[in-house]
Amino acid sequence: MRKKANPFFYLFLVVFVFFVMFPFLWMLLSSIKPLSELFGDKAFTPFSSHPTFQSYVSVFVDYPFMRYLWNSAVVSTITTVYTVIVASFAAYAIARLQFKGKTFILGIVLSVSMFPQIATISPIYIFLKNIGLTNSYLGLIIPYTTFALPLSIWLLVTFYRKIPGDLEEAAKMDGATLMQTYWKVIMPLAVPGMFTTAILVFIAAWNEFLFALTINTDTNYKTVPVGIAMFQGQFTIPWGEISAATVVVTVPLVIMVLIFQRRIVSGLTSGSVKE
Amino acid sequence: MKNSGMEGQAGVELNKQDARLPVKKAPKRERQKKESRAALYLVAPAMILIFIVAVWPVLQSFYYSLFDLRLSDPKKSEVHLKYSVDLGRYLDNYPFLISSIDSEIKKGNDAAELQDIKEKLQSLDEKLQKDPKVKSQYNAVNDKLMNFKQPSEDIRFADVEKSTAEEFSKTTESVSSQLNKAAKKTEFTQEKKLLGLASGMKDSIIKPTFIGLKHYKEDLTEPRMWRALGNTLTFTVISVAAELVLGLAIALLINKAFFGRGLIRASILIPWAIPTAVSAMMWSFLYDGQNGIVAKLFESVGIVDKMSNLLTTSTGAMFSVIFTDVWKTTPYMSLLLLAGLQTIPSSLYEAASIDGAGKWKQFTNVTLPLLKSSILVALLFRTLDAFRVFDLIYVLTGGGPANSTETISILAYKVMFSQTNFGEGSALSVIVFLCVAVISMLFIKFLGRDLLNDGNGAGR
Repeated sequence: MRKKANPFFYLFLVVFVFFVMFPFLWMLLSSIKPLSELFGDKAFTPFSSHPTFQSYVSVFVDYPFMRYLWNSAVVSTITTVYTVIVASFAAYAIARLQFKGKTFILGIVLSVSMFPQIATISPIYIFLKNIGLTNSYLGLIIPYTTFALPLSIWLLVTFYRKIPGDLEEAAKMDGATLMQTYWKVIMPLAVPGMFTTAILVFIAAWNEFLFALTINTDTNYKTVPVGIAMFQGQFTIPWGEISAATVVVTVPLVIMVLIFQRRIVSGLTSGSVKE
Repeated sequence: MKNSGMEGQAGVELNKQDARLPVKKAPKRERQKKESRAALYLVAPAMILIFIVAVWPVLQSFYYSLFDLRLSDPKKSEVHLKYSVDLGRYLDNYPFLISSIDSEIKKGNDAAELQDIKEKLQSLDEKLQKDPKVKSQYNAVNDKLMNFKQPSEDIRFADVEKSTAEEFSKTTESVSSQLNKAAKKTEFTQEKKLLGLASGMKDSIIKPTFIGLKHYKEDLTEPRMWRALGNTLTFTVISVAAELVLGLAIALLINKAFFGRGLIRASILIPWAIPTAVSAMMWSFLYDGQNGIVAKLFESVGIVDKMSNLLTTSTGAMFSVIFTDVWKTTPYMSLLLLAGLQTIPSSLYEAASIDGAGKWKQFTNVTLPLLKSSILVALLFRTLDAFRVFDLIYVLTGGGPANSTETISILAYKVMFSQTNFGEGSALSVIVFLCVAVISMLFIKFLGRDLLNDGNGAGR
């Protein structure tokens, strides 16, 4: 039914993948070069003649990179878990129950997801500073709600709507209460959707930059994106360490993407495509 | 949607059963009432949170933008709506000023003039203490200071009438200048102390920092703001247009069955998934003027004259930023469009080709109209993202060289956190907010209500 692929098509694919992946490959190759090969003429030869893991060692020994990874993991995980739970109730009501003002609420959720972060940052910063929450995990988890919650609600609503309604009706007929219907009938069917939502929220929280940059300025509370961006020294830029750190961040992401690609794609496209 | 019919049927059957067994079920209206109450309970936590963390800050940003708010200046570090006296500071100066004046009078240094000054100050002090509320705070602060303790914030600042505050400023100003003049004529024993205390008095009045729409007026006449807005628009229009065209082309090309789809999908997702700040850092290495491979490639292809020009000239820097954004987001765009393409039934293409429509005709008459809403949704989200761009530019160029890649978000950030001018920064961020609101309203007008009603058709 669909057009068949020909050799030129595969050539195009190879070129496309190469173009997309080239920066990562180059970072990978640079990360195992010794310092002397990162500068000067040798900077442009792809393969190092004396490969070394020095940059990787340096990333973890000379920089608090482990700390950054841990901070990012804590903040992103807590943000994800709590927003997905709060959002799942709201999304269930929006998708499955009848009440007035549903479109209005969905409209608010959508517009909040379009809010520019910069428009919320000054009050949030001043508030967190006054109550002493700058340089803490909570200081990031609270503002991360601004994008994580609308995103989760939006995604979960589309997932809940895909669950066939007759199961719910059947449960109601058997005399199940609303909460029973939710926990026993809807939840088990919604788990894949919730999981997908969790992946996307986690990625969004992991990648956040502006709040992390302004609120947690203490090295002990910096997250990975801010940490890497601040690697640049006063006078020199440690390219070896930067490429190693990039590889360290990218490899788990590549693995995650390879495992969950179907879910991620379904989550990314669910809001934008009518079925 | 498919299930709509089924749900309808189930509903009808349920009603029939209800009619047969009326005792078992609460009346329908009652049930609906219960359902909508439950729905409100379920929605409430999320809505409250959204209100607290997103809606309130935006309103507060607007509020702050009406004030001269500077975190580095203690007199302007908070929103002041009323005139007030910093009693802590006042009582740290006034009694000592009076006693120094007394000691100078005793020594006979320009006694007449000093006597006049002293009377002025004392009458001001009396006036201040007339207000019973101010007086009680006055005494409390005085007690604390006598015991060498810091008075707490809430008793330290006393609200006063505008007229009192104005008189206070006028008197302290004139006292200070009178003393300065007198000091030129006569030699005071403790001249420095006297003048210091007098000028310290002046600072104890706090004027309201409310300045209305002044920040907006200034911003709208500020060339730097317009330049930043121009840069933002340039970045947004060029990068989104390039991403749409390339993304659509890629989506059309890969919309077929082939071997290795998983690999393609994964390689599409990776640039999207890594943090923008990290990819910006990566590209700043690739663009590096001395050691960057991409800069070298651009030089050999002829895009730039010298590889060091890439990040140091304004067009070069803007090009680099846009190129990176296109690299990072085109794959994502093609993913969204591919999903849209896959919902177009192939029978339509078959029908079109039977009617003798060529490839181009098929594209313009079948693909584009059916893809319209997918394209608009993708464009909406991409345009907003591009308009809000921050991390990419902050890390890659920092807004430079010479502010040539400074976008409006970057400018607002710099004003807020480098100049600690939160009032003006908030005004700029409100401008960003308004722009985003206008853009999304335009798109939603085009999209109609499709976006919100999307799944409402799912049965109910």
